[in-house]
Amino acid sequence: MPLDTSAYSLALLRVDGRRWNELRRIHAQIRTQAAADGSSYLEMGHTKVMCVVNGPSEPGPRRGATSGGGGGGGQSKNAEVAVNIVIAGFSSVDRKRRGRGDKHILELQSTISQALAASLHTHLFPHSTINISLHVLSQDGSLLAALINAATLACVDAGIPMTDYVAACTAGSTSTYAANDEGADPLLDMNHQEEQELPGLTVATLGDSDRVAVLVCESRVQVSRLEGMLAVGVDGCKQVREILDRVVREKGIKMIQEGTVERGVGLNDMELD
Amino acid sequence: MASSQHVLLSPAELAYLHASLSLTPPIRPDGRSPTQFRPLVAETGILPGTNGSARICFADGTEAIVGVKAEVERTRTRHDFPSLDLDEGAEDDDDLDDNQRDVVKGDNDWVEMTVEIPGYRDDDAGTVFLSAMLSEALLADGEFTKRLWINRRFHWKLYLDILLISPPLSYPLPLLSLTTHLALLATRLPRLKSEGDEDPLFDDDWAAAPYLYPRPTGKKGSKKAASAPTARPPVTLLVMAVGNNIIFDPSKEELAVADVALAVSVGESSSSSSTTSTSSSKPTAMDLDTEETKGHNLRLLSVRTIDPPSRLTPPGIPNASNSAYGANAGAKDTEKKKQQQEQARTAESEAVEGVWKAPRGGAKPLVMAALVQKVLEKGGVADEVLDALDGVDLN
Repeated sequence: MPLDTSAYSLALLRVDGRRWNELRRIHAQIRTQAAADGSSYLEMGHTKVMCVVNGPSEPGPRRGATSGGGGGGGQSKNAEVAVNIVIAGFSSVDRKRRGRGDKHILELQSTISQALAASLHTHLFPHSTINISLHVLSQDGSLLAALINAATLACVDAGIPMTDYVAACTAGSTSTYAANDEGADPLLDMNHQEEQELPGLTVATLGDSDRVAVLVCESRVQVSRLEGMLAVGVDGCKQVREILDRVVREKGIKMIQEGTVERGVGLNDMELD
Repeated sequence: MASSQHVLLSPAELAYLHASLSLTPPIRPDGRSPTQFRPLVAETGILPGTNGSARICFADGTEAIVGVKAEVERTRTRHDFPSLDLDEGAEDDDDLDDNQRDVVKGDNDWVEMTVEIPGYRDDDAGTVFLSAMLSEALLADGEFTKRLWINRRFHWKLYLDILLISPPLSYPLPLLSLTTHLALLATRLPRLKSEGDEDPLFDDDWAAAPYLYPRPTGKKGSKKAASAPTARPPVTLLVMAVGNNIIFDPSKEELAVADVALAVSVGESSSSSSTTSTSSSKPTAMDLDTEETKGHNLRLLSVRTIDPPSRLTPPGIPNASNSAYGANAGAKDTEKKKQQQEQARTAESEAVEGVWKAPRGGAKPLVMAALVQKVLEKGGVADEVLDALDGVDLN
């Protein structure tokens, strides 16, 4: 079903009623799973992903499904970040089954693995592996961004030292490449319908800074539009970071209140109500 | 995903565990009674994009999600199929309905089941075995695929995707089976608006969509009182025996000392008449619903033996033949050595108290029969499990 982009210029509203710079609802939970070292659940609009982190641990027998990512093998000085993505058959509108060797999934895996390996302090865990397994339950655009955010949250939950949050979101443009429209506005956080039709990119930044950790663009777009899209994307990442940070803090406060964790030094400054 | 995962227990620990599980009553490491299940958290309808979905979390942290998706598919026309007399049917509508009911029949190809276990390939032998076991139970009586029949030209194709979210800490069969059961209970298919053998046309209103397994019309509290015999999807239970004790829902450690492990699939029949007809055709089926008492009309659908990992555990050595305890120290002359070797041989073949020996040989038929009997008992474990699953809110 082609997306009707002509209506955008009339009311400046997108198909789902958002303005150009609005994120979809992001809902996240951490520590959703008792058996894992770290876990998270993240919804960006209708995209729903779950993440389970195990490790850092001694690398087990090599299984074919993991993609060797940043940091190299288990014998190196840095921990290996092994990412495994399972896209459930029921996640999209039409059931489509992807095999393990799917090129698209392999690329997602290595992107996430390299992004996290750069942010995690992998040098603290030589000869070990951090296993990140991601489950996609429902997809509606911005899949890579949701996966990166979920993986970041799960790593925080697992207590793996990292420099800062890796927060990701997508940015697009209001008209197609073919339209060659100079006055096209950038868009923030694309849904599936927009992703099908419009050029878009996924960007992830490190914490509050403007340092870009991941930039993936799989569609044709004029260079003149790229700067605007990137600026909007980086701005969106900062909003996402705030949301992720709030989720972690709320969970932390809850855990202290419940007495799961002892109140540490410096936590007295935190507002507990 | 084999049942034989590595359990890091020494032979002495295995022997201790085996001994405590063989006591009457058995003492389980987590303090459960032999028929008690691990507590679980269940919810249904978590994914609006599916026809039915469910999530179950066991207390040990293992978690599974099942999503059911249905597609309309054209039924392959078979040449041996009796030719359709559309003209004749159009003349008398009443007869057509009756004819249709006779024609309703399913095909096992209409259900596709996939199991995803993190860290294991989807063509791993263990994963394939798990999905085969689960689909076997579902398809055993041929009643399930009949529900997917739309008309003579079309049917529903049902895709069941089973995801294990957590790493497999224990053999995940009961978890996956219970989650699949709930997802199927929550599954709804759009209401059919077209009639006869037309191209199917469905009602847009999701609220009007009927459940794949229609539920009793009575209220929640009076469900038992209404007792309209409703069919339920099958449940596969993992049962094991240690000595003469029968233990349900074993954990990984308990499974490591099992003499026998069985996966028993139990279904609930919709009516007693259909039960007897199918049970007579199946040699393994047991008919236990002769007396009309409260509880479920339980029916055995399939039994599979699970290779217990205990067969792969390292055997213990009695101190008498353990050189670390000076078994060979005093043996100077060859005569004494020979004697000790003989002793060691008897120790290997005979059970020594407190020394772990992996079980050898098959299961005793009596134990097997007792296992199956225990599952099917009125008011037994399967009854309890089905009752407990009744309590899950389906929306």
